[in-house]
Amino acid sequence: MKNGFAIFFAAFVVLGGSWCAFVLAPELQLGGAKQTSVLNSSEVYPIQRSGDATLGLQIYRANGCAACHTEQVQQDDVGCDMMLTSVGKNTNAVHEAYQSYFNTILREHLVGPRVVDSIDRIATNRGPWPGKLPVRILAPVDKFFADLEADKIAAAGGKIEIQIVALGPDIARGWGLRHSVAEDFLYDYPVQPGSLRAGPDLAGVGAWMPDLNSQLMHLYAPRSVVKDSVMPPFRFLFEIKKIGDAPSPDALNLRKEFAPPAGYEVVPKPEAKELAAYLLSLHADVPLYDAPFTSLSASTNAPANKP
Amino acid sequence: MSDEKKSCSASPNAEPAAERSHLPMWILALTFVLLYLGAVFFDHHGGWFDREVYSPYASAEELDAWQPKFGAAALLAQGRVLYEKNCGICHGNDGLGKPGQFPPLAGSEWVNAKGVRRLEQIPLQGLNGPIEVKGQALNFPSGMVAIGTAMADADLAAVLTYIRSAWGNQAGEVMADDVKAARAAAGAHPQPLSGDQLAKMPE
Repeated sequence: MKNGFAIFFAAFVVLGGSWCAFVLAPELQLGGAKQTSVLNSSEVYPIQRSGDATLGLQIYRANGCAACHTEQVQQDDVGCDMMLTSVGKNTNAVHEAYQSYFNTILREHLVGPRVVDSIDRIATNRGPWPGKLPVRILAPVDKFFADLEADKIAAAGGKIEIQIVALGPDIARGWGLRHSVAEDFLYDYPVQPGSLRAGPDLAGVGAWMPDLNSQLMHLYAPRSVVKDSVMPPFRFLFEIKKIGDAPSPDALNLRKEFAPPAGYEVVPKPEAKELAAYLLSLHADVPLYDAPFTSLSASTNAPANKP
Repeated sequence: MSDEKKSCSASPNAEPAAERSHLPMWILALTFVLLYLGAVFFDHHGGWFDREVYSPYASAEELDAWQPKFGAAALLAQGRVLYEKNCGICHGNDGLGKPGQFPPLAGSEWVNAKGVRRLEQIPLQGLNGPIEVKGQALNFPSGMVAIGTAMADADLAAVLTYIRSAWGNQAGEVMADDVKAARAAAGAHPQPLSGDQLAKMPE
C-alpha cells in the first residue's frame, strides 16, 4: 500500500481524538462525582436508593418511560427575590426608599417578569405596617441591584432578606427548584435523562407528587389523577382479582368510572410497586453548591415538611 | 464557467486537469477572527470545563458569588431539623418534655439563662437527675446521654440557638466558637453531671 503509514496515522489521530473528546474528557470531568453536602445542612445528597426503587429503575427502563419523560430540569437564569422582613419604625421612609429606587434603577434591571405581591399595600398604607411579615416586595432582580436595594432599605430602618431563586420555564411549571446536576444521576444505571417531553419532567416527581397511592393510581389509570393526561395506562403492572374474604390492603381506591366491576379489586404487582418506589425516589429539589438557591420555607421559618 | 469553456475551446482533446489555486486570504482571516471570537466567548461563558459550573453561571467565581448567605432564620431551620431528629423524642417537638421524666425546654430557666456556658455542658457531658425545672422537681435516674459529643460544633450551636428561640423562648444565639470552647472544657471523657453540680456552674 502506497500511503499505508499516512492512512494508519490519520485514522489513529481521528479515532484517538474522538476517544479523548467523548470518553476521556467526560471521565476526567465527571468521573470523580460523589455525594455532596446539601447547602446549609449536615445532610448529604444523593442518598442511595432502596432496593425496591433500584429495581424500579429497571422497570422504568423496560417500559420505555424515558421515551416520553425527561429527568432533567433546565434553568435559564438566576435571580434574587427580596423579602421584606421588618419595616422598623418608619414605614414611610422604607416605602420611599423602595419606591425611588424602583423607579430610577430597578425597573431597568428586572430578571424575568415583575412579580409584586404587596408593594401596593406599602404604597397605600402610610403608618403602621398593615400586613403580615415577611412579604415579597419585588422579584426577581439581579444580585448587584438586590444588594444595593437591601442597603437602601436598611438605611431607612427596614430589613430585607435576599433569596436566591432559579428561573426558567421548567421551574415556573413546578418541575423543580433548580437545574439538574451530575449528582442527581449518581446512582442511576443506566442514566436516563430522556430527550422528548410528551409528559412532564420527572426529575422531582417524588417531591411534587409524593403520595404512593396517587402514583399507583396514575400508573393504572392516568386520567383518574391527571384529568387531561395523554399517558397510556400501564394496566399490565396490576392484577384485577376477585375480592376474597376481605379486600386486599394494597387494593387501589379508584373512582367509580375507573374501578373494576363490583366484587373485583385492582392490586399492584411487585413491578408497579417498584416503579412507584423509583418515581418517589426522584427528589432533585435540594440546594447544592453547583445549583444554589434558598428555599422559601427555610427563610420564612415555616414548618419543615421533611424530617 | 467561463474558464472551463475557454480551456475546452483551447484544446478539446486535452486531458482535463485540476489546477492548484491559493486559498484566498480573506477566508483565512475570517477563520482566525471567528476562532478568536469563539475563544473569547468560551472564556466568558464556558466555565472552563469545571464540573460544578453549569449554565447560567459563567465561571466558578460567579457561582461562588451566588452562594446564598444564610441568615438567622436558616440557622433556626437547621437547628429545628437537628432538634427534632435528636432531641425531640424525649423533650418533645413542642419543647414541653414529659412530666416527671423529661424536663421541659420551653420557658426553662436553664435554657433561657443569660450565658450559655452552663447550658452547653448538658449535651456535651450528659445529665442525671434529680433536677428542678420551672419549679417542678424531676428525677430521671437513667439520665441524659452526652448526645452533643457526636455533633459538629456548628450543628450543636444551631440546636442550642433553636431551643433558645423557639416556643416563646427569647434568649440569644449560640456561636459555634462557644461550643468549641465548651467541648474543650468538657474534656475527652465527660461524666454525666448531676443537678447540684450543674447548679454550681457559672452561667
